[in-house]
Amino acid sequence: MSRLVYIVREAWANMRANRTTTIVAILTTAFTLACVGIFLLLYVNLRNAAGWLQEDVKIMVYLEDSVQAARRQALEKELKSDRMVFGVLFVSKEQALGEFRAQFPAETHLLEGLGENPLPASFVVTLAPNYRSPQSMKGWAERVQTMEGVAKVDYNQEWINVLAELIGYIELAAIGVGLLLSAASVTIIGNTIRLALSTRREEIEILRSVGATRTFIRIPYFLEGAVLGAFGSALSLGILKVGFELFRQQMQSAGRFSGIESLLSFFPFSLCIALVMAGMGLGLAGSVVSLLRVGEGRA
Amino acid sequence: MDAIIQVIHVSKWYDRRAALSDVTIEIEKGDFVLLMGPSGAGKSTLLRMLIGEEQPDEGQVFVHGKNVTKLKQSEIPYLRRKIGSVSQDFRLLSKKSVFDNVALPLVVQGVSEKDIRRKVTEALRAVGVDHKKDQSPNSLSAGEQQRVCIARAIVNGPVVLLADEPTGNLDPERTGEIIELFKLINARGTTVIVATHDPHVMKQINRRAVTLVQGVLMEEGRLAERVGV
Repeated sequence: MSRLVYIVREAWANMRANRTTTIVAILTTAFTLACVGIFLLLYVNLRNAAGWLQEDVKIMVYLEDSVQAARRQALEKELKSDRMVFGVLFVSKEQALGEFRAQFPAETHLLEGLGENPLPASFVVTLAPNYRSPQSMKGWAERVQTMEGVAKVDYNQEWINVLAELIGYIELAAIGVGLLLSAASVTIIGNTIRLALSTRREEIEILRSVGATRTFIRIPYFLEGAVLGAFGSALSLGILKVGFELFRQQMQSAGRFSGIESLLSFFPFSLCIALVMAGMGLGLAGSVVSLLRVGEGRA
Repeated sequence: MDAIIQVIHVSKWYDRRAALSDVTIEIEKGDFVLLMGPSGAGKSTLLRMLIGEEQPDEGQVFVHGKNVTKLKQSEIPYLRRKIGSVSQDFRLLSKKSVFDNVALPLVVQGVSEKDIRRKVTEALRAVGVDHKKDQSPNSLSAGEQQRVCIARAIVNGPVVLLADEPTGNLDPERTGEIIELFKLINARGTTVIVATHDPHVMKQINRRAVTLVQGVLMEEGRLAERVGV
């Protein structure tokens, strides 16, 4: 027990003795991790947005005008039994016309000139969540296109591909920036520990002379690094949260984004905890690097 | 009698200069040995070898049955727990109280709080500074600081006490008191080795004396016999 008390007390004393360095290390780590956090926040929100948008993606299976009722029913049955399909809704020619009129009342004269209803009957298909990737949609659409009675399969492939690509790029940027800035955090904390080691050289010598093991000497420095990392990470989350709320308020007051701001979300609590733990890990890594490079003295 | 320390044909060079040259000494359990010689004779090097802080270039060193030259890095702390060290510059931590300084060897071994309190109080009482336990070492006189240093060295009940110029910063009166303390510690069964070039110390101790000159063991004998006391 006395050993544990000593170790915690020493780590605390280290941080108090080098107060300025400790504060600078926490602040620098916080701002560094906040930069990583911005990318992570962007990534998380885009992933969410992609999820909602993909949920909303409907595939239109237009039918040939010549399709008989029996074939249409068979086709509907076939689509409904497809494991990739989540929902199927039949829209008759008349319903399509009604919808067109309801949505574009000013344009109805265009259709009247044609005499006969030119709009085809269709199935509005929603794919199951696991099959909403651009590749799956494309494969499914190509397969259905070949079915008897199907005139055309249509969905907005273009923007789905763009969105997937964008998310991919942000993911890469988040990983790259994350790695780079994490290395910076490790270096910053490592330097703080190195400074603590040099200011306490005499004490380390005394500890060695009275029979302290390397582990006993090192643990307070490991602890210090972990605490610095955890504090830095927690502070970075605070900075991000404030920035995030300000941004959301700004969007709300601008009023031009038709409620998008309400869809934006901050990191869930579990991810916040994971990020603090990651900060702790980075701090620990800084201490380890520092102690391995400088050591706490020979023998 | 059992030999607690054996230094066998030990040599050590620094930049081609011999700090120790083919030194062989055997010290029995419970002995009180004066290690004498001028500054730079190799006394501190020899003491550092006994606690594994230096390795000889040649020869072997045995302490309490362990071959120090063959010990792994991880085993050295455990050797040091059996050896108390006292130095000229006291090496006390000014940010810690006298009590906490003396408690350090026990804390690193994970001794319980209760035993730490008891052993530290006993050690401070033995050296006569128990009434200063809550003070900072900086507020003590040089003689008192050296007593605290001795208390830290004996708090563990070591088998050997090594003192490197322990009276270098003390006046003759305080020197006498410290020597008396060493004699008392030795009388309780601890092997004591005092390295010194202080004539006051030499006069006060009629014990086995080993002299080193430029790293070479010159003579051995009782100091009183040699100075004709």
